[in-house]
Amino acid sequence: MRDRDVLEDVLALGDTALTRRQLVGRMGLGFGALSAAGFLAACGDEKKSTGQAKQGGTVTIGAEEDAYVLSGDGANVGQYPLNANIFEGLVRMDPNYGIVPALATSWSVRGDTWRFVLRRGVKMHNGQPFDAKSVVYSFDRIAEQGGGTPGFKKGGTKIVDPYTVDVTPSFPNLRLVEQIVHPENYIVAAGTDPVKQPTGTGPFRYGSYERQQQLVVNRHAGYWGTPARLDRIIFKFLPDNNARRLALEAGDVALILGVPSEGAANLEQKGFAVYVSPAGAYEAMYQNIGGKKGHTLLQDSDVRHAIEYAIDRDALVSGVFNGQAIAEQTMVPARLLADHASKVTGYTYDQAKAKQLLDTAGWTAGGDGTRTKGGKPLELELVSGFPSAAVHTGVPEFVQDQLKRVGIAVKIVKTADSAAYTARTKSLEGDLWLERGNQNDANPSFLPALLFSKKGLFGPGDYQTMFSPGGAFEPLINKALSAPDEEQVKQLVADGMHTLIDVEAIVVPLAGVPQIAASSDKLTGFVPQPSTLQVRYDRLALSA
Amino acid sequence: MTYVARRVAYLVPTWLGITLLAFVMAQFAPGDPAATLFAREHGRPGSTAEVERTRQQLGLDDPAPQRYVRSVADAVQGDLGTSYTSGRPVMTELLSRFPATLELALAGTLLAVLLGLPLGVLAALRRNTLVDHLTRGGSLIAASMPSFWVAYLLIILFSIKLHLLPSFGAGGLDHLILPALALALGEAGLVARLARASMLEVLGQDYMTTARAKGLPEWRTIGVHALRNAIAPVVTQVGLVFGYLLAYSAIVEVVFIWPGISRLAVEAISQRDYPVIQGFVIFAGTCYILVNLVVDLIYQRLDPRIDLTTAARPALS
Repeated sequence: MRDRDVLEDVLALGDTALTRRQLVGRMGLGFGALSAAGFLAACGDEKKSTGQAKQGGTVTIGAEEDAYVLSGDGANVGQYPLNANIFEGLVRMDPNYGIVPALATSWSVRGDTWRFVLRRGVKMHNGQPFDAKSVVYSFDRIAEQGGGTPGFKKGGTKIVDPYTVDVTPSFPNLRLVEQIVHPENYIVAAGTDPVKQPTGTGPFRYGSYERQQQLVVNRHAGYWGTPARLDRIIFKFLPDNNARRLALEAGDVALILGVPSEGAANLEQKGFAVYVSPAGAYEAMYQNIGGKKGHTLLQDSDVRHAIEYAIDRDALVSGVFNGQAIAEQTMVPARLLADHASKVTGYTYDQAKAKQLLDTAGWTAGGDGTRTKGGKPLELELVSGFPSAAVHTGVPEFVQDQLKRVGIAVKIVKTADSAAYTARTKSLEGDLWLERGNQNDANPSFLPALLFSKKGLFGPGDYQTMFSPGGAFEPLINKALSAPDEEQVKQLVADGMHTLIDVEAIVVPLAGVPQIAASSDKLTGFVPQPSTLQVRYDRLALSA
Repeated sequence: MTYVARRVAYLVPTWLGITLLAFVMAQFAPGDPAATLFAREHGRPGSTAEVERTRQQLGLDDPAPQRYVRSVADAVQGDLGTSYTSGRPVMTELLSRFPATLELALAGTLLAVLLGLPLGVLAALRRNTLVDHLTRGGSLIAASMPSFWVAYLLIILFSIKLHLLPSFGAGGLDHLILPALALALGEAGLVARLARASMLEVLGQDYMTTARAKGLPEWRTIGVHALRNAIAPVVTQVGLVFGYLLAYSAIVEVVFIWPGISRLAVEAISQRDYPVIQGFVIFAGTCYILVNLVVDLIYQRLDPRIDLTTAARPALS
């Protein structure tokens, strides 16, 4: 098992600022293949902040929409989706998706049961000791609301001794330790109401919360690790991208999260520090092979492969993402699959080959440029809208233009938000489905299993009807879900993605997408993470 | 039946229409609130069984007519339901936000009048001069500019370039100026155009010639005889502006993170928080029709020529 020093190393990353230009340069050198140690070393070479960090002070951060749940067992103020570092998990995730100790110092699995040895000497913010009772309370609370992704069940978390717990989920789950890095599974103080007084063990303690306005957190002096540098952080919820950027420019906030790719270069030109994480999200289209509601055209493998070849991903990255993305084709972030990512070969842009495939499949060029077969035009419906149509700005039109060049007509349907998109998936009306997904835990098999396995992770649904290939993919992903060895899981998932992308051409990976943030020069110590849920604010400091 | 009683009676079907519209709109909005809430609470999509369980918990498995009747009966008693996302009564949520919206709407309306009325009057008095052309052109541009764009321009000028005012938030007069101005500019354009047209109509009346022939000073001719007669349609417009700003300042509230009811509604729409969406429409619609009622009653005070005994709606005689 890893020891505490690894965690301290990761936290120490906060002393350096990795700027967009520097990081993009590193990406070009094959960032995805860097090991954790390599990444840490790389960061260590970066330029230091413009000034010396000072202790104390208050910083205002422009966050995105306030999407906290305030009621019931699902209440999650300070936890998710904005992790304000009030709470911590038993483990956490490093930038390479490795698991490092946090409130647990070691863990092991025997049969279906996980054993966690807990860190001693840790106090919750209310003075209560962190111990096995805290873990039981937290996991039982999740069990009350359905068990969460790990499948916690009531009575499934048992106290072995005050600093040891056994966790037996509701189903055999060998991915549990990779899943509990997600803040939804963090530890809350036993007996506390997370709505009235969010109480955890993190470097910041809850201050105040005004819905859709702000969350204030204060430095926790008794933190078990290195205490935070700032006295206070005020997270202002600024859902409008432009308003957030203008607030930074006006000096009303010192750091903004969720910078759109088109805004990054402009901010950098104006002298702001722009931070670009390694790719932790992906932009991809899924091809509907289900054949329901008359959407049968993509049941033809040649058409699906033609689409893969017809799209110039480098042009997409430079033209639409303004260079703030990577033309990687693994869907699941390549760094999560480590060396196994090379099993996914992807597609080289080749419109001649795309046309040839369509010719072979009997689609002949029509008078208006759209191919036809038996009098039926090759027209596809592209649905864009997850998590919102806004995050895909320019992508549907780019794809439409690229496919038009090979004789495929595309009708774009934009749904305003994820709720409308989900309603559309239920209707099964669409051929190409454009999504932006985030890898928020260290389990490589989560997204492929959730979206493409026949049985789904939580039962079959619309995605299974439209996108599940069955065949060789199914045993691979099922084995990945139950494999004990991390390396084996990565290998199995890489094989699965190879099947989905290279063989079946169900997934059209378009780009790996980083998380982007920007700050004024008054701030130092921000380290972007592939998953925004893992960002630490305890190393943030004002320049002296 | 008196005019006032008749006007109040008309409010009932109008209000019922609003409640029906709010309910139907919520039903036809794309997206399943049960699925949305589940995904939001759990960070993943729910299975069919999980979503159905959530639907039952929310009471959404009852027939739509039954839910509508229940919601109207509750609304009459001031109960607009409970927010799916906060777990708090919708009325409490709305009332806690309403002072901020009222403050912004009052400030926006006041600014719109202070900017639009003098300009409109001046343009009418200087008809076909440069002042008139500039006022007409400027008011047309102001009325055509989307409020979010105006908001950005104001932030760039006053917050970024001049560092005079904060770019967002609420709390004092300095925080109020930019959002109020963003709301007011477009409305000031409308007020100016209406004031100009109304003044021009009055200035051409015989009694204005009589007033001048009597040797009254020009300021008294304009201030008392012209403006007093021209003001009634402007008041109607101002009332509508106020009602509009109370209900529909969503974009400005989002850009400036103003803690008003419109921002609450925007967030509720994205989260498919039906009770809040419906509650907002009913609350804002009620405010709007009440403001209209008050305007209609003020109208007669301003122009005693209006006959309120027979007309369903007052009109200039």
